[in-house]
Amino acid sequence: MLKIENLHASINGSEILKGLSLEINAGEVHAIMGPNGAGKSTLASIIAGKEDYEISSGNISFDGKDLLELSIEDRAREGVFLAFQYPVEIPGVSNVNFLKTAINEIREHKGLAPLSAKDFLSLVKQKSALVDLDASLASRAVNEGFSGGEKKRNEIFQMAMLEPKLAVLDETDSGLDIDALRIVAGGVNALKSKENATLVITHYQRLLDYIVPDFVHVLYDGKIVKTGGKELALELEEKGYDWIKSAE
Amino acid sequence: MTGSLIDFCKQLEPTSLKLPEPLLQSAKDGVEFQQHFPSTRDEAWKYTRLGRVAALILTPVKINQSPERLPTSDTIDIVFEKETWQCNEPLDGLHLKFSGDLDADAWNACTLHGHVQHINALTAQGGVAIHVDANTILTKPIRIIHRLQGENTAVILHHQLVLGDQASAQLEVIFEGTSENSYANVLFDFFIGAGANLHTDMLQQIKGTHYGFHTQRIYQQKDSTVALQTLTANTHFTRNEIEVFSQEEGTHTQLYGAFIGRENNHIDNHTYVHHMAPNCTSDENYKGVLSDKATGVFNGKVKVYQDAQKINAYQSNKNILLSDQATINAKPELEIYADDVKCSHGSTTGQLDQHALFFLRARGISEAKATDMLIKGFMAEIAGAVKSSHIQEALHALLD
Repeated sequence: MLKIENLHASINGSEILKGLSLEINAGEVHAIMGPNGAGKSTLASIIAGKEDYEISSGNISFDGKDLLELSIEDRAREGVFLAFQYPVEIPGVSNVNFLKTAINEIREHKGLAPLSAKDFLSLVKQKSALVDLDASLASRAVNEGFSGGEKKRNEIFQMAMLEPKLAVLDETDSGLDIDALRIVAGGVNALKSKENATLVITHYQRLLDYIVPDFVHVLYDGKIVKTGGKELALELEEKGYDWIKSAE
Repeated sequence: MTGSLIDFCKQLEPTSLKLPEPLLQSAKDGVEFQQHFPSTRDEAWKYTRLGRVAALILTPVKINQSPERLPTSDTIDIVFEKETWQCNEPLDGLHLKFSGDLDADAWNACTLHGHVQHINALTAQGGVAIHVDANTILTKPIRIIHRLQGENTAVILHHQLVLGDQASAQLEVIFEGTSENSYANVLFDFFIGAGANLHTDMLQQIKGTHYGFHTQRIYQQKDSTVALQTLTANTHFTRNEIEVFSQEEGTHTQLYGAFIGRENNHIDNHTYVHHMAPNCTSDENYKGVLSDKATGVFNGKVKVYQDAQKINAYQSNKNILLSDQATINAKPELEIYADDVKCSHGSTTGQLDQHALFFLRARGISEAKATDMLIKGFMAEIAGAVKSSHIQEALHALLD
């Protein structure tokens, strides 16, 4: 589904990704772990299409399409979803209105008719229950006055509404207490299918107790230096990133 | 040297209103003393050039004294179009008159300030006088529509609204149409009785090279409430001046504004709140969105007089510039002579929030639509304060 080959990317002249390769197939859950500054969030931003980065070489294909050639919105319409580490507050724009616009833009891209108001509302009801999001939050302005946990649950709610092929969760566990973590992970697991894939980016092994990965990659200094099964996460937790650094 | 104010007034007609002699004399003295239009060295006109206004060749539009009848509708309609004015049947407790028919006494409480008001005092050709009896709660909104048209016209009107004690009214004031090389100077006096409540929404949306000067003078008595929303959209040149005289205790004044400018539009909002009495509040919130080479001005002044203790005055101005060449000049001013007051003011200007734009696009929303959503969201506070559904729809259409 997603194939990244020898990706080099820099921002303001400093190189962050230095030849990253990664392949994700439908039905798989991948986790990327790594120390601060390794390039984890950069990778998430580049997949979503953030324009601040310069790609000097390498390529990313998504379902056979050249992802780097697509605009931010077209990537989303093709099925890429980024759950933000820091969800943005947008005063004056209601959550429901924003989601309705997003869903219908995606449907239009797929050649589908817009969702009726009735179908949309029943979808909101069904999907907000998945992450235990209060129905009143759905009608409020996007993330305005939401707690940290509510913001992250709102991200997963959006993911549930948009049904992406590839969900990239950028440090979704940061700032979550254990109850919120369970709810968020429960939502992600409920959305898992044979047709979609998940890329979990995290610092800590903790999240991976709830979202069990098929593959764990260690990102260090702009490259994936080690790949293994879920047991690799436990090993990392135990030995720390210095173990990887010294193995270099 | 800026253009001659004396010559500008000469091409207009003497006023058809019966203003008190001292008021007329003071306007005459003002013009003769000033001689010329103010230049940008004048603090009140620092960012608004009047050279093009002074050079306009104008034919004044004389308004017929008697109104034509409009059919009854859900609103009390008053329409100014060319030399006619039209209105429908008033309600109980509501009286409509040609402002030229009022006695001089009706204008006794007026104050005069600046050349725009001087021109109006000397050359106004009519207007509507709306009187609402004490204790009357109007069941229908009043809607005043100005349909501007033609070339080289000067539409100079002086309206009056007197709201009796404990009365309540909702007013919509609309300026629309297309007019080239034209001038409008429309002044509205609001006399708000004790305990009375006025809600006014104003929409200024005139196409063409039109120069619009809009003045609202609001005189508030004890415990009265006024909310005035001013929306200015895509007009070539607009200068709004709002003066509030909070004359007695317990008043509340809300001044909200939204201005949207593009191309070479110039939109200037000046507000001046005089807190002359204690225990009053005022709340100002102006938001601007400017694109292309549009320029905007916000100058909000609050003066708290010496005896006006326990004043709570809040003022905010926020602007979004959508192009590198758009300009905003924002100046909040506080002048405080009392020692027990709460006044705050703030102004911010920036570009569209790039993080929010990325977030919306990352959810599949096109850049153009995401931009519209953010601007609508930015204006939501102002739009939410508008009661007139007509003006609300117009605002939504503008932001789409």
